[in-house]
Amino acid sequence: MAKPNRLGKIANLVLVSSTYLFLYLPIVVLLVFSFNSEGFPSPWKEFTWKWYIELFQSEPLWDSFYNSLIVATCSTLLSLTMGVFLIFYAAQGGRIGSFLNLFYGNIIVPETVLAVSLLAFFGLVAIPLGLTTLILAHTVLGLGLVIPICYARFLELDHRMTEASLVLGATPIQTFFKVTLPNLRPALIAGGLLIFIVSFDDFILSYFCAGSASQTLSLYILSMLRSGISPIVNALSAVLLVLSCLFVLILFSLKSRARIF
Amino acid sequence: MKFSLSSRSPTSQLPFTFGAPALIWQVLFFYLPLVLIAISGFVKVTETGDILGMTFDHFLFFLRPLYLKVIFSSFLLAFSNTLLCLAIAYPLAYFLAFTGKRYSNLFLFLLIVPFWTNFLLHVYAWFFVLDKDGFLNLLLQNLGLVQNPTSMLNTPFAILIMMVYYYLPYMVLPLYSSLEKMDVRLIEASFDLGATWLQTFRRIMLPLTKRGLKAGFFLVFIPSFGEFAIPELMGGDKQMFVGTVVSDYILGEETGALGAAFTVLALIFMLITAGILYWVIERLIPGKTHG
Repeated sequence: MAKPNRLGKIANLVLVSSTYLFLYLPIVVLLVFSFNSEGFPSPWKEFTWKWYIELFQSEPLWDSFYNSLIVATCSTLLSLTMGVFLIFYAAQGGRIGSFLNLFYGNIIVPETVLAVSLLAFFGLVAIPLGLTTLILAHTVLGLGLVIPICYARFLELDHRMTEASLVLGATPIQTFFKVTLPNLRPALIAGGLLIFIVSFDDFILSYFCAGSASQTLSLYILSMLRSGISPIVNALSAVLLVLSCLFVLILFSLKSRARIF
Repeated sequence: MKFSLSSRSPTSQLPFTFGAPALIWQVLFFYLPLVLIAISGFVKVTETGDILGMTFDHFLFFLRPLYLKVIFSSFLLAFSNTLLCLAIAYPLAYFLAFTGKRYSNLFLFLLIVPFWTNFLLHVYAWFFVLDKDGFLNLLLQNLGLVQNPTSMLNTPFAILIMMVYYYLPYMVLPLYSSLEKMDVRLIEASFDLGATWLQTFRRIMLPLTKRGLKAGFFLVFIPSFGEFAIPELMGGDKQMFVGTVVSDYILGEETGALGAAFTVLALIFMLITAGILYWVIERLIPGKTHG
C-alpha cells in the first residue's frame, strides 16, 4: 500500500486471523477428538484409530455414500451435457440471451421453496420419491450453476477464432468441437466440480425429495446428529475433509481459473 | 457482444433441438412446480380432492401477529446475517486481494475447503464447541470467566453463528473478485492526495466493488431468508422462521394448501425487501456499477 499505514495493516491482519480462527476452530476440535478413545463429554484420554475402523465397517454409511455418489454423478453429467448443448445452440447463432435469464431464477428462489414445490409437484405427477427425484431436483441446481458460468466464458471467447474457423471452411459443428469446446474446458471442469460438490453435500433438497427408502450421505449424518454425538461422525468429518481438499486442489490446478468466484 | 456469431454463421435446423433440453428441464422442474404451488395456495379443495374454486382463506389465515412475526424474524435473521457477513468478509477480501496477495491461493484454499464440505458436519462441529460440556465452555471455565457452564445450543446466538459460518464464503468470493480487478494505484492516489482511510474506502473502494457487493448481498440474503436447516438444527423448536413454518405445513397432513399460501406470502415479502435493500445499496454507494 502507498502509505505504510501500520495500524490499518495490523488491524486487518488481526481481523483476518480471527476470521480464520473462527472458520477452523470447530474443525480442529472435531478432528482432534476423532482420535480420542473415549466418547464425547469426556476429555482427551488416549490416541486411537477405532472410530475410523468402526466408520469403515458401517454398512448404512456406505449405502448412503453410494447413493450420494450416484445422484451427484448423474446430475453433474446431465446438467453438463444439457449446458453444453445450450452453448452449442448459442454458438450456432441461436439467440439465447433472453432465455438465459430463466436460469438466474435459481438465485432468487430460496432452496427451501424449490424443495417444497418439487415435493408437491412429484406428488402430483406421481413420480415416487427416491434417487430419480433427487437426480431430477439436483440437475435443476446444476443447470443454474453451469449455464451462467459457461455462458460467461463463452462470451469472453475471442469470436475471431470461431469466425476464422468458419471462414477457413470448417462446418459449424467442426468449429464447435475443435474451437469452442476446448476453450470452454476450464469452465466446464470447474462447473462440473461445483455441481458435483453442491449435489453431494446438498441437504435441503435431499431432505424433502429423497423419500424414506433412499438415504443420502447428508441424511445419514442428520440421523446420526439426531441420535446424539458420536465420535464416528468426527471420523467421518475427517475423511470428508480430505476428500474436499482433493476437490479444491483439482479446482486450483486448472490453468485458467474459471470464474466460479 | 452483439456482433458475435449471429450475423455470420448459417443457422441450421439443428440448433434449437440442442438448446431445448436445458430449457425444457428448467421450465418443467423449476418454474412449473413454483407456479403450481402458488396456484394451490389459492385453490379450495374438498376432502376428497375435488376443486371447489378460488379462495383467499389460506392467505387470510396467516395475516395475524404470530405469522407476521415469523416473517419479520426471518427478515431480521437474514438481514443481520448479511450485515455480519459483510463486516467480516470485506477485510478478508481486502487481505486476499492486496495485503496477502502473495499467499492468496493458500488463503482461498483454506476458505473454500470448509465451504465444500458437507454442511451438516459443520453443524455437528459447532455442537461440539457450543455444548454444555463443549469446547467453549471448557475454555471459559479454565479462564475462570464462567462458573456454571450452560449450553449455548438452541439459542439465537447459536443460529446466527452457524449462519455467518456457512454464508461467509458467499460474501467473500464476489467481493474478492471485484477487489482483485481493482487498480491498486487508485487507492494509492487517493492516499497521496490526502484522503483519509475512511474517505478512500467510501469514495474509491465501495463504488468500485459495488458489483461484488450486490452479488454477495443476493447470495447471502435470499437463501438465509428461507433458511430452514440451520434454525431447525441449531435453534431447537423455540425459534420459528419462514423455512421451518413452510416445511411444517407442507409436510403436515392436510395443511399443504396453507403451506403453499405461506410460501407465496413469504416469497413476495422477501422479494420486496430484497428489492428495497437493493435500491438502498444502489442509492447509498455513489458511482456506476463497475467490474
